[in-house]
Amino acid sequence: MMNVPTSDAGRFVAVIIAGVLCTTCIAAQTNEDFQRGMAEFRTGNYSAAASSFDRSEKISPGSTDALLYKAKCLIHLEDFPGAEKSLRDYLIAHTASSDAEYLLGFVLHRQNRPAESLATYTQAAALTPPTGDDLKIVGLDYVLLDDYPDAIKWLEKATEFDARNTDAWYYLGRACYANGRLGEARKAFERLLDLAPHDVRAENNLGLILETEGQPAAAIEAYRRAIKWQEQNLYQSAQPYVNLGNLLMEQGRAQEALTPLQRAIELAPDDAYCHVKLGVYYRKAGQLEGAQRELVRAAQLAPSNAAIHYQLGRLFKEIHATDRAQAEFDRAAELETRAAGSRASPADH
Amino acid sequence: MKQHLQRIPRRLAASCLLSILSLAAWGQQASTAAGSAQGTPGTFVDVAQRLGVNFQYRASHTSRKYLLETMGAGVALLDYDNDGLLDIYLVNGAPLADPTPKGTNPQKTDSQYWNRLYHQKKDGTFEDVTEKAGLQGTGYGMGVAVGDYNNDGFEDLYVTAYGGNKLYHNNGDGTFTDVTLKAGVGGSGWSTSAAWVDMDNDGFLDLIVLRYLDWDFDDVWCGEHKEGFRAYCHPDYFKPIAPLVYHNNRDGTFTEVAQKAGLSKSGKGLGLAIADYDHDGHVDLFVANDSMAEFLYHNKGDGTFEDLGLVSEVAVDIDGRTYAGMGVDFSDYNNDGWPDIVVTDLANQRYALYQNNHDGSFNYASSTLGIGQMTLAHSGWGIRFFDYDNDGWKDLLIAQGHDLDTIELTHPNLRYREPMLLARNTGHEFLDVSAQSGDVFHQAWVARGLAIGDLDNDGRLDAVVTTNDGPVHILHNETRTQNHWILLKLVGHKSNRDAIGAGIAIMTGAGLQSATVSTAGSYLSASDKRVHFGLGKDNVVPKIEIRWPSGIQQTLTNVRADQILQIDEPLNPNPLPK
Repeated sequence: MMNVPTSDAGRFVAVIIAGVLCTTCIAAQTNEDFQRGMAEFRTGNYSAAASSFDRSEKISPGSTDALLYKAKCLIHLEDFPGAEKSLRDYLIAHTASSDAEYLLGFVLHRQNRPAESLATYTQAAALTPPTGDDLKIVGLDYVLLDDYPDAIKWLEKATEFDARNTDAWYYLGRACYANGRLGEARKAFERLLDLAPHDVRAENNLGLILETEGQPAAAIEAYRRAIKWQEQNLYQSAQPYVNLGNLLMEQGRAQEALTPLQRAIELAPDDAYCHVKLGVYYRKAGQLEGAQRELVRAAQLAPSNAAIHYQLGRLFKEIHATDRAQAEFDRAAELETRAAGSRASPADH
Repeated sequence: MKQHLQRIPRRLAASCLLSILSLAAWGQQASTAAGSAQGTPGTFVDVAQRLGVNFQYRASHTSRKYLLETMGAGVALLDYDNDGLLDIYLVNGAPLADPTPKGTNPQKTDSQYWNRLYHQKKDGTFEDVTEKAGLQGTGYGMGVAVGDYNNDGFEDLYVTAYGGNKLYHNNGDGTFTDVTLKAGVGGSGWSTSAAWVDMDNDGFLDLIVLRYLDWDFDDVWCGEHKEGFRAYCHPDYFKPIAPLVYHNNRDGTFTEVAQKAGLSKSGKGLGLAIADYDHDGHVDLFVANDSMAEFLYHNKGDGTFEDLGLVSEVAVDIDGRTYAGMGVDFSDYNNDGWPDIVVTDLANQRYALYQNNHDGSFNYASSTLGIGQMTLAHSGWGIRFFDYDNDGWKDLLIAQGHDLDTIELTHPNLRYREPMLLARNTGHEFLDVSAQSGDVFHQAWVARGLAIGDLDNDGRLDAVVTTNDGPVHILHNETRTQNHWILLKLVGHKSNRDAIGAGIAIMTGAGLQSATVSTAGSYLSASDKRVHFGLGKDNVVPKIEIRWPSGIQQTLTNVRADQILQIDEPLNPNPLPK
């Protein structure tokens, strides 16, 4: 510690000097925490990085981008409410930060708050033009709002902004497919395959299109190609397996359907759709215990899905569990009525 | 592997002659293809103008996009003067102010909005007899139901509308009297399809009237908020509403019994069809609801009903999803003796075909019999099974066109105006033969109502189609075929005089066919009550069995083909075993 003069003037000067020194000290400390956070962030150690950014911000609020980076860390950690708070705090001191606004739009999207996300993206766009990725999220916000025409419009813009954005092409294809615009969906997935040959998602979706168009043989080939392409991948998708199994089942090729349906559940044990399809398979095959196991599991995973309770009702009816069947049918009716009520808004028909 | 319609070898079919109906009732297979599985596409020609039917439906479109405007209206085929020739009754709209104040009950202000009755003359052309008949109507019309409610031998008309319905009693002299008030069947709200059916088999027709939504002229913007994109609101935006059910008091009056009959469940009803799906001798009801679960009302035999739609697996599609049910038919398309169900809906949903499993449940067969694939991109309304080429298999005719006139702005692959769809039943699957079946199937209409009947009594079924804010079309069946046919006109004496609800089964050398007497079905429309069967190569029907609503069984043998045969209910009761 330094000596402090005793006169008033001297005391004042000493306080100022001490303050300056202290500020310098704190700034150094803050900078040190921030730099440490950045280093950890770059190495992917997001949890530690978030703590460093947190310390940095506490020591010197608003003087660095610590809150912005903390939000980025929390996004990586999928703590979206935490990321939202961090971004909103950051924006208090950095009102013109388009980076923060765009990130906030993304975080709101990930929290299934599409209307707020779109409003935030609009604010961000007033500051800086969006990227293809930003437009992609805007498109996905419209998907969440069940407004497919607008979703397609913005996803098309995303691909115009960045013609090599494979995710944008994928989501464009999905939105077109969900909206019954099969020709446009096919083009999007084919474009994706041009950019990323052997993209499993694209091939799987081409299978869905072929299936919808009534070309089951070609669809089966597409699903099988997608499965082959992902054989060497560390991460494998359950989707081509469940789609293949379902189509084989519909085509009366039950013997072939079981293996892919079981493989789908190995890959996605918490996917209710996979359990439903395996349950329906077992029901059709007369293996009613297996059917019950799978459909009950599906209902546990997606308790508000009316269609699953309907399938359970069909099963219980088949095994003459009349009361349970009626209960499941009643539950399906109740959920459907509730869903119809929640759909009651003056949106597009 | 395609799922084939149920078939049995010819040699087994012969043994089925012992009792067609009872055999079917016991759930045995009793079906073969009646005719060749090859057959031909149809040939249909629009003759409306040539025959003097110049009706124009007025929807009165506004900038506010009132949902009422997009629904279209129905058509009835009936022989109101008993001259043996079908006449045509067409329902019309009414003018709407833009905006229309809430609480308004639109009224027909001048003749362009009148409903119209066209009488068929001996030469096959039609004359407009609306004024003479007194059938101009009131209000913004929707549907029409045909039935002889007082058993006097003349068909009466019930016309539904937004804001109140009308019952017109046929005086038997070419005129009708509005007896709505006296009968007590005016109703309220937005009524759609109606059906005459004897719910309790007391010999008098009762009346079931669907209602669509709890709706008023609210100025609600749906769709994108930019010029040209305002759209009709989704039915989800409005509450469902209970139907009206009128029991016939046998004295010209009716009593509303929806609650008592177990039919008061709120729905968004657009289509209504009848058949005895479980062969228990009591006519059941199917209600096509828009964007909610469909209803299958099982008749418990004591004048009350229960909805078994979900349990019977006809309330939703194969994946358990609801869809926008519009029109419906309830008829045995696969010749196994049991009524099946088909329901139209909107694009991207696939029309729903439910095959009767003979155990009170149905199998969703859209995806396996070709219907799903051919209808994915279409929006259907009026629909009827009918055997256009007399090959013994009931085909499908469907009125199409999207409900949204803005659909092409948001869905470039869909169309507001669409051609009709003709799907041929080969006995194995349905094939889209529209493109080969005449110019009418290349014209894009906003088609809505559809009624089937043999207008010129030549044994080939014709169709009348209404369009939204457009002309009526008469599809004259000119299909070249040497196949035989028979047209059965049943007259009840203990049962209701129209014999509505009677089950008919015929056995030909090629197999069983069955049908239910009904004027209901399709969308907002009423078809010829006479029952038509195509007979393929058979010029004689070895056996006809009728189960009258009274329970009386009647059998006819070795009936000559190619005739219109009136069959009167015998007076000596001989009930069928249940």
